[in-house]
Amino acid sequence: MPNKKPIGHLHPLSKMIAEINQIFSELGFSFAEGPEAETEAYNFDRLNIKKDHPARDMQDTFWLRPGDVTEPTVLRTQTSPVQVRFMETHTPPLRMICPGKVFRNEATDATHEAQFHQLEGLCIDTNVHLGHLKGTIEYFFSKFFSGEVEVRFRPSFFPFVEPGLEVDMMLKTGTSKLANRWIEVMGAGMVHPNVLRGAGIDPVVYQGFAFGVGIDRLAVMKYGIDDIRHMYSGDARFVSQF
Amino acid sequence: MVQKFSYNWLTEYLGATAPTPEAVADLLTKHAFEVEGMEKIDGDTLIELKILPDRGSDCLCHRGIARELATLINQPLQSDPLEIEVLLPITDKIVVEIEDADDCPRFTASLITGITVADSPLWLKERLAAVGVRSINNIIDATNYVMFAIGQPLHAYDAAKFPQKDGAYNFVVRKAVAAETVNLLAEGGKEDERIVSLKGGELLIVEGAGNTAVGLAGVKGGRFAGVDSSTNSIIIEAAHFDAGLTRRTARGLGIIIDASKRFENEPARTLPPLAQQNIVDLIIKIAGGECVGFVDVYLTEKNPQPVLVSPMNVNALLGLNVPVSEMVSLLKRGGVTVAQDGQSLLCTGPLARTDLNIEEDFIEEIGRVYGYHHVVSVVPEKMVLTEFNQRHIFCEKVRLSLLIMGFTEVITTTFRNKDEIGLLSSMASDKCFLRSELATGLEEALTKNAPFTDLLGTAHTSLFEIGTVFTRVDGVVAEHFSLAIGVRLKTTGYSGKEDALLLQTVRQLEADLGIKGNWLMAAGLAELNLSELISKLPTSNQYVSVPKTEDITYSPFSIYPSSSRDIALWVGTDTEVSSVATLFKEAASDLLVRVTHLDTFAKDSKVSLAFRLVFQSNDKTLAADEVEAEMTAVYQACARASFEVR
Repeated sequence: MPNKKPIGHLHPLSKMIAEINQIFSELGFSFAEGPEAETEAYNFDRLNIKKDHPARDMQDTFWLRPGDVTEPTVLRTQTSPVQVRFMETHTPPLRMICPGKVFRNEATDATHEAQFHQLEGLCIDTNVHLGHLKGTIEYFFSKFFSGEVEVRFRPSFFPFVEPGLEVDMMLKTGTSKLANRWIEVMGAGMVHPNVLRGAGIDPVVYQGFAFGVGIDRLAVMKYGIDDIRHMYSGDARFVSQF
Repeated sequence: MVQKFSYNWLTEYLGATAPTPEAVADLLTKHAFEVEGMEKIDGDTLIELKILPDRGSDCLCHRGIARELATLINQPLQSDPLEIEVLLPITDKIVVEIEDADDCPRFTASLITGITVADSPLWLKERLAAVGVRSINNIIDATNYVMFAIGQPLHAYDAAKFPQKDGAYNFVVRKAVAAETVNLLAEGGKEDERIVSLKGGELLIVEGAGNTAVGLAGVKGGRFAGVDSSTNSIIIEAAHFDAGLTRRTARGLGIIIDASKRFENEPARTLPPLAQQNIVDLIIKIAGGECVGFVDVYLTEKNPQPVLVSPMNVNALLGLNVPVSEMVSLLKRGGVTVAQDGQSLLCTGPLARTDLNIEEDFIEEIGRVYGYHHVVSVVPEKMVLTEFNQRHIFCEKVRLSLLIMGFTEVITTTFRNKDEIGLLSSMASDKCFLRSELATGLEEALTKNAPFTDLLGTAHTSLFEIGTVFTRVDGVVAEHFSLAIGVRLKTTGYSGKEDALLLQTVRQLEADLGIKGNWLMAAGLAELNLSELISKLPTSNQYVSVPKTEDITYSPFSIYPSSSRDIALWVGTDTEVSSVATLFKEAASDLLVRVTHLDTFAKDSKVSLAFRLVFQSNDKTLAADEVEAEMTAVYQACARASFEVR
């Protein structure tokens, strides 16, 4: 590769995903990925999201036509199916992240897009607990936002974790708009035993944490982007700022 | 699900130990539910809570939230509408027939005679107003009140309008047959008819004498035997319906109301008779009359089951050191029955909770009541990375090579209004198909960005995208990563001269990466199947280190077009380009958004510098005379600096 300076511009999502991967790779998290058109089984059932459960309301889903698929298939509403696929093909201890595109069949506005990006992470071992989750998230955010970050947990519910948590973060250094206030930033929790068992991992021996955060939301926080639709508009006036 | 709660109503159950509204909000935020809003109104405080899906069973009512608060402040409830004895007599005036116990495990109905329908007392109107429910009359209000008090939906019928068979009121719970109709209550108490034709399979409440559907079980009551001002005897129904069936019916018909939302969250099966006792007491108090009796058909019991919880597992999962005695006390505060079983605790959730079913549920209960702020951060010990994402490594190389050649990355939509792979339903007509290639989206981006070259200070428009595309392979959907590169030389569209430059780019990229690609090239666009290519390459075990970049702060860009003017000057041989650019910026207003140096040439003892000046406003399209006024100021500044305009 010629040793020259880039003159074009990298999309902020690519920039962030490369940074995210760098930070997590330091802790030994593999960068995994999976299909964007995902089976209903992986997108919902394997994640302990039961049919007819109100939890399915949390997401509006795009379904593919039955003629094009061998089993019911959706545009993944979360990157969690990648976690399940990773668990099925790896033996603990395991650590992975899966940044990727996800889809929701809903109306768009400045803070909602039908397509957006998520970062999820998973860590499984015999002795992983909520303290490791907190430590990992603080490690990541401190590097990602270049400052000292503290996180706090609040109770929440996601079918694939138990306990389920809402994570708030506070940047304790610097003078940015983010500094010195709690910001709700991600969902997390300890992986539900049904999810572990379903992926072939014995929940009596192993336990682990999982978390998920919108990368677009991280962009709004990191760069002060006013409208996430710019991310997918193909507008060079936007990308050229990065 | 967001639900409003009246602080005054909560204090009815909590008594004198009730924390202040602010303390209530703080406690619930840290230990239970997010507070969406607080509003002080007429001596009350309304607290809006986001009830988590697993607590929709017991916390979509004031008693549930009061019980939660009592747990958190470690005090008993002063008054608990569920800790009562059901003393209603049994009557043979009501007969219930249930077709399938799975659909309706429990059905209760009571008969109250001698009542007077009237306006509700003020206190009741206030309670309902607080939760956003309109007062209708004392009977209907009583049903709503009990639902918002303990979470059990109820329905009232005028007994005089309800046909009898063999001297009894007959209720049948069965599934609808295809094309069966039911006449439902209109929205918001309106008088219009609302006859709904059913697909079949929806659960119905049927009046047995005439086999008439009188309501959609769990979803919505019917107009049949409605209570009005002349009513003097009533039948009150309180039942338990299958959550999944209720949900399917409600979603299928698009009828999602307070009652259906509660049933689909599976409230406790112990509630219906307690609701009957509560409502009978209330109606006698506000409408007079007496209860003839009630029936309670309970076909399938379901009570909280004991679960073994290992204290070791509790601390191992939470990362805490909670002593066993403390765990027991935290659980008991929440109404959990705890028995020591060797090293383990045998835990049984309280009757109202249907969400405590496995060990982890109780561990969460201990964790959140104890408080997650006790969790101490531990960064996991570093582990050596053994797996490397080949696609990411390769794409990063592609990006770097293209960036060096002046290309900018875009990410466009995955959706198309026409392509190979279609979607079943979509919110928007432009999102009915998935893209099978990137080129179409990139071409749109080129067209859109071509007018911005002056504004962005680029010679031409050069873009690329990397993303997933969807095609049909052997009859089923298949996806792969694709790379598309595009060039546009003119703002007016594809000029035909782009392809030479594009080919040069492709060759350079191939040289940089040491690959040979199977490109599809057409009209200034080139596309390559990356997944196929990467699968043939040797693997790499290293990520390129990401350079530490300076902080970027994004600023919203103007959506209005820019105007460009070129200017060339004779300057002295020692004049710096940057000092001339500064001169322009000082002379013009902030409408001058970019100065691009175009060329320099020397002749004799003079140097010619050419620039392009780009003007743009944040709030309008600039008129020609506004740009000319800016240029006049620029020319004047040049004259003052003794630069001769060519």
